[in-house]
Amino acid sequence: MKIKAQVCMVMNLDKCIGCHTCSITCKNVWTNRPGAEYMYFNNVETKPGIGYPKNWEDQEHWKGGWELDGGDLVLKTGSKLGRILKLFYHPEQPEMDDYYEPWTYDYETLITSPRKKHQPVARPRSLITQQRMEIKWGPNWNDDLAGGDDVRQDINLKRIGEEITLEFHDIFMKYLPRNCNHCLNPACVAACPSGAIYKREEDGVVLVNQDICRGWRHCVPACPYKKVYYNWKTNKAEKCTFCFPRLENGLPSVCTDTCVGRIRYMGVLLYDMNAVLDAAKTSEPKMIYAQMLGLIKDPNDPTVIESARREGVSEAVLDAAKVSPVYQLIKGWNLALPLHPEFRTLPMVWYIPPLSPIAKKFEDKVYLPRSEAMRIPLAYLAELFTAGNTDIIMRTLQRLLDMRTVMRRKEVGEALPQGLEFDAYEYEKMYKLLAIAKYSDRIKLPAGLQGKTHEQLRELQGTAGYACPGGFC
Amino acid sequence: MSGFFWGALPYIAFTTLIVGTAYRYWTGERGWSTKSSEFLAKDSLKVPIWLFHLGLVMAFGGHVIGILIPKAITDGVGISEHLYHIIALGGGIPAGILFLGGFFLLMRRRFDNPRMKVNTSTSDGWIYLVLGLTIITGFGGTLLNAVGLLGDEFNYRECISPWFRSVLAMSPDVSLMSDAPIIFKCHVLLAMLTMIMFPFTRLVHCLSLPFEMFLRSPIVYRRK
Repeated sequence: MKIKAQVCMVMNLDKCIGCHTCSITCKNVWTNRPGAEYMYFNNVETKPGIGYPKNWEDQEHWKGGWELDGGDLVLKTGSKLGRILKLFYHPEQPEMDDYYEPWTYDYETLITSPRKKHQPVARPRSLITQQRMEIKWGPNWNDDLAGGDDVRQDINLKRIGEEITLEFHDIFMKYLPRNCNHCLNPACVAACPSGAIYKREEDGVVLVNQDICRGWRHCVPACPYKKVYYNWKTNKAEKCTFCFPRLENGLPSVCTDTCVGRIRYMGVLLYDMNAVLDAAKTSEPKMIYAQMLGLIKDPNDPTVIESARREGVSEAVLDAAKVSPVYQLIKGWNLALPLHPEFRTLPMVWYIPPLSPIAKKFEDKVYLPRSEAMRIPLAYLAELFTAGNTDIIMRTLQRLLDMRTVMRRKEVGEALPQGLEFDAYEYEKMYKLLAIAKYSDRIKLPAGLQGKTHEQLRELQGTAGYACPGGFC
Repeated sequence: MSGFFWGALPYIAFTTLIVGTAYRYWTGERGWSTKSSEFLAKDSLKVPIWLFHLGLVMAFGGHVIGILIPKAITDGVGISEHLYHIIALGGGIPAGILFLGGFFLLMRRRFDNPRMKVNTSTSDGWIYLVLGLTIITGFGGTLLNAVGLLGDEFNYRECISPWFRSVLAMSPDVSLMSDAPIIFKCHVLLAMLTMIMFPFTRLVHCLSLPFEMFLRSPIVYRRK
């Protein structure tokens, strides 16, 4: 056993209202620079939908993530020799039109226009070429099922053989906010020819070293979530940093901090690094989720604590792990699930699948339907979160339904239903964390990861970043 | 003047190449990159980038053989001048076609596409000009020489190659270059200019071929 700490995020999709506040605040902090205009370290997709970049989940096309080759774990993008040949032209690298061409509007014409018969119009202008352009695609083109036929191209829908009908009472959708998963077995790190991407020792955050990166851009196709981006101006790779300057001060990422629906939870997990490879090599994709749970160790177990101390995990981190809300949601109640575990990168951003909209049909005159009668097909959620294992989705949704039932009956003074998995107290705890938890309950991060004082950190302000010192860019 | 061109400039070029590259590496590694433009224009890159780099490697290999191996050695192992000529042209002409063709296609791609234009820096523009002229003079000289337009008595292995080796031996024999045709003189001067510009352009990426990748474990999930 070799225990390492991992900062981890859980999103409760039941509460996501798809407002894109996380994307906007992230963009304002990290990607509002030339060369990064098209990047969204955090974006919100409507599912079903093909997402950003287009069809990112289709690994037959993009060759992202890992696959098993006779029991060995290999990058889907190819062997080392094959990858050397892809240094020149990478057939699986997405280009700008796979994301979208970023634009702004000629707002000034609204002010400078002379008096005319019709109102002046602010026309779109490309942020790349600075020329007038026609908008053909955008970062959230499928928002709220917009885009018609594109939505039907969702690969998860195709896999379950479900056609979205235009019947209103059958239609379903949900939101999926996505940022870098800071995987335990990151494909981008393994694929980087220059060794510029690394997983931080102290908190497992995956970062690109901007000095070592040479712009070979193999990380971009290798990441199955397409969460590493190529900056066309600085010619280096960039990705979500989990807002590590904030983490180091005990603050959550900007997307978590600003989430309007308060859907995000952040905390520390302790995991056994020696078992990571075996978990990633699990032969049956439907079992990867269970293996991932096995990696995560009980933060109150003395042998785990002792091993963590041996690896240099600080006391502050160990204390945070004991009260970690994400541990409770992932391992305690098994409510949170990994996104596309079949990519075998062992992602560390977890999702609580959504129940809503609750009623499948108006005619069903029941307070809460069974989990399998939900409007969003179980098989669809299973494609997203359990590599097609509907049993896990059903169990998770049933726990959420039971929680609602218990809380309702407590409120109206009815007797609790029979055959509950947990006792009432546990459901109440679940309710408190999921529904009414305060900021300080949702976020338990240890400060001082870096061991630097506030004065030292202030001196560093403005000295680090993505800019290009010394020219030559 | 020829003393400067063929006696001093080579050393200025080599020094700038080495010191400049080291300086760039220590001070401006943040900007050290392939400057890949595949993201901005993917399809038009697919074939030309292979033509260009393949031609470049072939042309480089040809130069190493033609310049560094003295004529006496090839004569010694029984390769006649005629046979050498056939081998040199047999490799050199395809290399030149690939190199120049790839370069032309890459330039067309770069200056035809509005997206690519915004990613073309001043240093890019200068190095394309100098590199393009270097390739044209080199390939042009080879072709002219092959059809005999440079005069029967000219053989670069009897003037340019020994001169280059004398430069490497730190005792430049300037007189060797006096008989070289003007097109080859231009080629050598442009090549030296390329060397001087090299550290400050995107060309540095050729030093970053990621061979260390083969030494690394195939799966890296944490440092220790």
